[in-house]
Amino acid sequence: MESLATILPASAMAEEPKDMPDADLPGSRRPDAVVRPGATEDVAALMEWATREGVGVLPIGSGRRAHPVRGDGRFVVLRTDGLAGLETYEAADLTLSAGAGTPFGTVAAALAENAQWAPFDPPRIDQRSLGGLVANGLSGPLHMGYGELRNHVLGLTVVTGDGRTLRLGGRVVKNVAGFDLLKAVVGSRGSLAIITSVVLRAFPVPPVDRTLYVEGATVGELLKHALEVGTAPVLPASSVIVDALAAAGGRPALVVRLHGAEATVAADQRRLEEHVGLTFRVDSGVDHAGVRDHASLGDVLLAASARPSRLGAVLDALDALTPTALSVDSYGGRVRAASAVPTGEVIDSVRSRIEDVGGALRLFAPSMDGRAAELSTRPRPGEQALVEGLRSAFDPGGVLWPARF
Amino acid sequence: MTEPLPAALVRQLRSTVGDDHVITDPNRLLVYESDGLSAYRVRPRAVVLPASTEEVAEVVRVLHAAEIEIVPRGAGTGLSGGALPTPDGVVVGTARMNRVLEIDARDRIARVQPGVVNARLTDATRPHGLYYAPDPSSQSTCTLGGNVAENSGGPHCLKYGVTTRYVTGLTVVLAGGEVVRLGGAGREVADGLDLVGLFVGSEGCFGIATEIEVRLLPLAEGVRTLLGIFDTMEAAGHAVTSIIASGLMPAAVEIVDKATIRAVEASVFAAGYPTDAGAALVIEFDGTEEGLDADADRAEACCLAAGAREVRRARSEEERLGLWKGRKKAFGAMGRIAPDLLVQDATVPRTRLPEVLAKITEIGVRYDLQIANVFHAGDGNLHPNLLFDRADPDQMARVEAASHEIMSLCVDVGGTITGEHGVGVDKRGYMTLVHNEVELDMLRRVRRVFDAEGLFNPGKVIPDEEIDAVAGVGAS
Ligand SMILES: Cc1cc2nc3c(=O)[nH]c(=O)nc-3n(C[C@H](O)[C@H](O)[C@H](O)COP(=O)(O)OP(=O)(O)OC[C@H]3O[C@@H](n4cnc5c(N)ncnc54)[C@H](O)[C@@H]3O)c2cc1C
Repeated sequence: MESLATILPASAMAEEPKDMPDADLPGSRRPDAVVRPGATEDVAALMEWATREGVGVLPIGSGRRAHPVRGDGRFVVLRTDGLAGLETYEAADLTLSAGAGTPFGTVAAALAENAQWAPFDPPRIDQRSLGGLVANGLSGPLHMGYGELRNHVLGLTVVTGDGRTLRLGGRVVKNVAGFDLLKAVVGSRGSLAIITSVVLRAFPVPPVDRTLYVEGATVGELLKHALEVGTAPVLPASSVIVDALAAAGGRPALVVRLHGAEATVAADQRRLEEHVGLTFRVDSGVDHAGVRDHASLGDVLLAASARPSRLGAVLDALDALTPTALSVDSYGGRVRAASAVPTGEVIDSVRSRIEDVGGALRLFAPSMDGRAAELSTRPRPGEQALVEGLRSAFDPGGVLWPARF
Repeated sequence: MTEPLPAALVRQLRSTVGDDHVITDPNRLLVYESDGLSAYRVRPRAVVLPASTEEVAEVVRVLHAAEIEIVPRGAGTGLSGGALPTPDGVVVGTARMNRVLEIDARDRIARVQPGVVNARLTDATRPHGLYYAPDPSSQSTCTLGGNVAENSGGPHCLKYGVTTRYVTGLTVVLAGGEVVRLGGAGREVADGLDLVGLFVGSEGCFGIATEIEVRLLPLAEGVRTLLGIFDTMEAAGHAVTSIIASGLMPAAVEIVDKATIRAVEASVFAAGYPTDAGAALVIEFDGTEEGLDADADRAEACCLAAGAREVRRARSEEERLGLWKGRKKAFGAMGRIAPDLLVQDATVPRTRLPEVLAKITEIGVRYDLQIANVFHAGDGNLHPNLLFDRADPDQMARVEAASHEIMSLCVDVGGTITGEHGVGVDKRGYMTLVHNEVELDMLRRVRRVFDAEGLFNPGKVIPDEEIDAVAGVGAS
């Protein structure tokens, strides 16, 4: 590790690995070094070194959900919080760029000053770094009205596993100059490249953000309503079922958000109620962060997906895990559940029931060691071959994929 | 120059797709010599028209074994030479793969073959109250396969986003004939990478899409269409900036300039735009009926504040089509004032539009070329159309030089060399304006992940590859 100090400025040598808090790397071995580069060039130097020396690199933005490291190879933790700060903000063009380590809250606050925002709401977004959000690629229920996170990322600066710096995309909303490598990096969870800077598309804050909800005895009963919302002639900004809504006294509820001008929102609510055949309660006091983060903490988190009409079967399958918390984004066909640590056999059977209806299951469970990934739905063989090909194109030395070190 | 295919190979292809669907007769090959960028022409060795994924796979297998290049082709409306044949290659066309395979109104998903024409998909889903959002101006002829390959946009992509936002799954045939399913609604959380997003926009260089799954949207209930008439292009550009910055979310904001207005008004497509106007702006809002008038009022105010001399508002569907006419018929009208038309395509940050348009005018004057602008202004996606006569080599050289200057200009203000038409053969030479050698090398590496030998659409997108394709090409 000594040679590391010769390629990075002293300011980038963050801390003694032993000082790194456990919470930052749950279930993992301690790293051999922790670095905190302040510029893309430093990241490039680090990655070139890592590939040459055969040392693994684990990027950490906010620290949450990092992959535990289990193998016995040497590895370095790369903290991206040194790559923080707004770079440009062209409010009139609705574009903003910032270092990958910038806390999302900083971005949101800058946008808010111009009555703009970034319309995605994955769990715990306020605790995440911009690069971490992009690496995870999760959109949250607002994808219903605004599209997926990947469509809001206009450009990225990334460093490949072997230290090549690539600028992907750009600063404009339409751009087809070359293959869309940006899409491969969004959601790649650190397996292809280190993201050092992000260009985001901003949106005007809607004049009215109305929250409607309806309570139900069970999530299954609410699913029927949610599916109706998904076939209504108006498209809400989001629609999500949680199995316990504080505003509804902890009962299950379907929460729908409508965005637009006052007249539009009022009319949309009427159309929706006519179509679904029920009356919503209007509540501006609903805790959006609570809804957004529901079922995102626990020993074991499960993400399941299926086409909306198959979600009933997915919920039935998940029942076997007696989830402690459940959230359903029916338009996106996504279910999130938290549960106690299940046995492999239970997961296997839940997963195959979900796969039988064309769906997929993914497990996040630091305490389950490597088994969480093995128990998740794998890409099809043809997809897997392409995934591996892309990994070696981006990271020929295999230093970015913690399963390997 | 083009070598005929060996007879045994032709027999093999015929036994796969049927005798009528392997074209080798030079007269019938003529229509496949170019796409919408007609300045480039190359005769392919043959055209094969398979009808199913299995047939595509078998055709690709046979051609791959014989090491013959494959150029995928949809309707051939592409404007960057993406479907331009190679002299040693065979065109694989999707014309017979034109079936809508599934419409699931509950899940708002449609599955189609790649040869389905864009507008036909919406025709098929409209009875369910649904439509397919991306609407290239060529939508009555271009195919979904071509849209996927180019990541096409359209006037209403301002509000709704381009093709990539709507493609949820693909079945693709890769080099060697392997059939691979990528993604699919319901598989969001499967561990892996966004291969669907990567394939969209791959310009026929990764493989052939043989099935496409897309997300549908509910039809908008109401629509309001405005036509703003401006004395200068600059004023129209300012109106665009102020509409977007005001927080309004128009479905479309399109500009036609003075040269275009005059061409349209002098043609059979005359739309009633004033011929002394400097620019016209078509603005459309859609969605819930209530609220649309207020949006239209605000947009009208933005236009007037920016100096519009007049703002018309459609009161009926007929009037709406009338307001759109000058925009929609622009290309047809230009065809009548010059023998050849080069439709350029570039994107700039929209606040830079007024300045960039002024400089493009200046470039036109300097090279003594007529340039007519008609474009997706809300997205900053420019289409400067260069009018010329291919028979005049001096004009050809000036078109080339002016195009290069326009591209450099757009890149210099923070834009890019293509917003929706793709790189194809036409923009390969400009790729170095936006990508360095490391990035170009990465594009090559990623392409090899899908197609190790580079048999799919060689000579497209990436500069400096072995380019037989361009040998003997007319334009450059
Ligand atoms: C008048 C006019 C207006 C236009 N307006 C717009 C517009 O508003 N927005 C816009 O984005 N474009 C526009 N275009 C450009 C063009 O229509 C689009 O690029 C369209 O998507 C091309 O579709 P196509 O079926 O004609 O494809 P082709 O031209 O046949 O092929 C285009 C590319 O796709 C590849 N390809 C085709 N099918 C497949 C497949 N199944 N699998 C893999 N690769 C395939 C080809 O190899 C080629 O590289 C316009 C063109 C014209 C002539």
